[in-house]
Amino acid sequence: MSNGVHEIEDAKLLFVFGYNGADSHPIVARRIVRAKRKGAQIICIDPRRIETARIADLHLQLRNGSNLALVNSIAQVIIEEGLCDDKFIAEHSHGFDEFKELCKKYTPEAVTDITQIHPDDIRKAARMYATSGQSMILYGMGVCQFAQAVNVVKGLANLAIMTGNFGRWGVGIGPVRGQNNVQGACDMGALPNSYPGYQNVTVPEIQAKFEKAWGVPLSNKAGIPLTQVPHYVLHEPEEKKIRAYYVFGEDPAQSDPDLAEVRESLEKIELVILQDIYMNKTGQYADVVLPSTGWNEHEGVYSCCDRGFQRIRKVIDPPADADVLYDWDIISRISTSMGYPMKYSNTEEIWNEVIDLCPSFVGATYEKLEKYGNIQWPCRSKDMSDTGTSFLHKDGKFANPDGKAKFSSIDWQPPTELENDEFPLIFSTNREVGHYSVRTMSGNCRLLRNLEDEPGWIQMNPELCEELRVKHGELVKVISKRGHCITRCLPTDRVKKQAVYMTYQWWIGACNELTNAALDPISNTPEYKYCACRVEKIKDQIWAEKYLREEYAKIRQDMGIATKKKGGKAA
Amino acid sequence: MNGFVQGDPLLCIGCRTCTIACVVAHEGKRIYEIDPDGYDFHPRLKVIKTWAVSVPVQCKHCENPACKAVCRSEAIRIEDGRVLIDRQKCIGCKSCTEACPFGAVHMVPLGFELNPDGSRRSVAHKCDLCNGLEDGPACLRVCPTEALRLVERDDLEAILDNKRKNVLVAASSPELRNRPTVC
Amino acid sequence: MPIKEVQTTCAYCGAGCQILFKADPENNKILEAVPAKGRTNDGTLCLKGHYGWDYINDPQILTKRLKKPLIRRGGKGAPLEEATWDEAISYTAGRLSEIKKKYGPDSIMCTGSARGPGNEANYVMQKFARAAIGTNNVDHCARI
Repeated sequence: MSNGVHEIEDAKLLFVFGYNGADSHPIVARRIVRAKRKGAQIICIDPRRIETARIADLHLQLRNGSNLALVNSIAQVIIEEGLCDDKFIAEHSHGFDEFKELCKKYTPEAVTDITQIHPDDIRKAARMYATSGQSMILYGMGVCQFAQAVNVVKGLANLAIMTGNFGRWGVGIGPVRGQNNVQGACDMGALPNSYPGYQNVTVPEIQAKFEKAWGVPLSNKAGIPLTQVPHYVLHEPEEKKIRAYYVFGEDPAQSDPDLAEVRESLEKIELVILQDIYMNKTGQYADVVLPSTGWNEHEGVYSCCDRGFQRIRKVIDPPADADVLYDWDIISRISTSMGYPMKYSNTEEIWNEVIDLCPSFVGATYEKLEKYGNIQWPCRSKDMSDTGTSFLHKDGKFANPDGKAKFSSIDWQPPTELENDEFPLIFSTNREVGHYSVRTMSGNCRLLRNLEDEPGWIQMNPELCEELRVKHGELVKVISKRGHCITRCLPTDRVKKQAVYMTYQWWIGACNELTNAALDPISNTPEYKYCACRVEKIKDQIWAEKYLREEYAKIRQDMGIATKKKGGKAA
Repeated sequence: MNGFVQGDPLLCIGCRTCTIACVVAHEGKRIYEIDPDGYDFHPRLKVIKTWAVSVPVQCKHCENPACKAVCRSEAIRIEDGRVLIDRQKCIGCKSCTEACPFGAVHMVPLGFELNPDGSRRSVAHKCDLCNGLEDGPACLRVCPTEALRLVERDDLEAILDNKRKNVLVAASSPELRNRPTVC
Repeated sequence: MPIKEVQTTCAYCGAGCQILFKADPENNKILEAVPAKGRTNDGTLCLKGHYGWDYINDPQILTKRLKKPLIRRGGKGAPLEEATWDEAISYTAGRLSEIKKKYGPDSIMCTGSARGPGNEANYVMQKFARAAIGTNNVDHCARI
């Protein structure tokens, strides 16, 4: 995020695009509620009537997959009605003329069929955003999980640049990062194209710096993105194939799109290494399993969604009967055994090595993290007076070589797999508020499991339910070109009739059996938010319920849980 | 006057932290120590989501409760400003669930209490304002958006005064409307 | 009973909430999670922050806690068997070295983790991929 979470409530207008904070980050959604209370206007852009839509001044319930058409159209209105911040554009950006040219064809009338939004509402949104004086954009997976994703982000950035909503308190553009340390994994260079601190692997000076620090020659060829692993296993020629896969703290056999393809590739990889705290679906394919300590059993630093470094601390020891090691220790031992010795005695020692290699993190010492609790990078000086940076691009200075922001002129493109006669509905994933990711954490928590459990729900418009003659709670079969799964029907008028929604936490209601592995060409993010599907009624509900129970028992057995009594519960 | 927990749909984000808090408050922290199937998960409130509203629905602790009026087994009483159900006396006839105009009373199967003949007991269940429990009501204590509050006699009067004032201000002429109101 | 209090950062979602854990050090058990005052959470927590920690005690609900290194000694299709750390480390290192020698460093893919392990572990993993194996094939589940 270009701005801090704590700044959200001070914005005068929140432009919330494809971001359902109430389910993905309740404590960020809290700031949206507080902003509203403090008098902020809210524009919510989402195909569902999400919680933010309920309290919004304007809800644009756009058609799934029409994001960039709408964003460009909002820009068109801002230009057409003379609402641009001309001074900011002139001083701090380039490429505006080309962008202006592109926008001409995106009149609200021209995009209304694509977006299903009335032109008046697009105009209203544009005026509100451009004139509030302090507008902040928040976006989420409803922007990122499309084959056209990065370009929509650029489109949203266009809006912020053209109205001067950058580089001040309570403005900017905020991708609210999903997982607890997804920001941190990126910060640390767990990315195929960058070293820690976003230093590109293809830049010779940077390569030389890391070669000197690490004492070995390094590759200047960008690596393979995770989402392309199935492709590299199944479809590339022999000399380019992936042969070994070291999976660390994740479960691609549950979280990645088109699970049938993921399973096929895991079967074919010669060596699968799983390092985790719980057995998971990927573990079923592992040749070796390395057990590690979990959250609350080790020290370290996480980066939250707004670039904030914060300490995590050890609360308890691992269970007495667990022969587990710290993650960094396991990797160091393997490395040493392979002839590249790595030896650290604690996380602070590792952290000091990290920050000394990353100019943007250099000042974020453990000492300061202890003292201040939270440091948002950039933090470029070890001096105690440098407490980090709440918002980026101060005084309109951007991270490009010339210090200017660049307008991107890009046309909308439709999603990859459209509805058809066989699969007439739009399928999209969403989030279950009480569960997390692949569920090996939250699914093993008593109360969260009580609140929601297998096989999860499919959100369907009541009219669609009526047509299919399915009722609330009934088990239904959901099918795409790639696979199918079983889940429960949840009729709700918060979704339109054309689209259905499932959360990806469930193992029986595993919606990634359905999803399409079409990727955004820049971010390599899959199109989780759009593929074609159909929903079928299951006539024999008794059979379906029995199938569900048996499948659940089988999963638990496969995951190493001893069959046990039903806890003394009355029969 | 009996107190009650009121939810504000403009603040509620439907996250259901309150729902779990209710169970933890009533079952106790032993939950974390015991067999995961060794306790009952029966929240006494339910978060309802419609097109316009998300908010927990729970007992209003009526002054003249319909549930109490229809109860044939004298299982429902008013005590210390709250409407309470005596599980032991409840015969599970469901009259109270029908009588309650808010849907705030529901039936729950008890996992660990049996009838004298060994059959499973089902009883009426609803919010008891965390009767006898420390730091209650638990739901409003954990709500991350402060969407819930306990309304008691004084609060209700203040809420009503505010309402009365707002109605009058809205009905006044513009020049009067902009003058500061004095209570 | 002496109670130990430790403040940490929540491991669910990117909001970065601060939690104060109360633990019983004698029995090595967490007792309760209480909201702490952090910059982003301002003394509040959601349901995952309040009630999402007891998985660590291995309650045997969905999956089993991994407590020993495991190796599929009989190859694909054979069962996973318990091993010592020495054996697991040398097996892993040996097989990786073999594959690197035969097919080159770019035939190996490593992942970081966007979840519990933390920044230091991610740093060590990417350093391992780049310096020990010699590939930039390191990525993580950022996109899900």
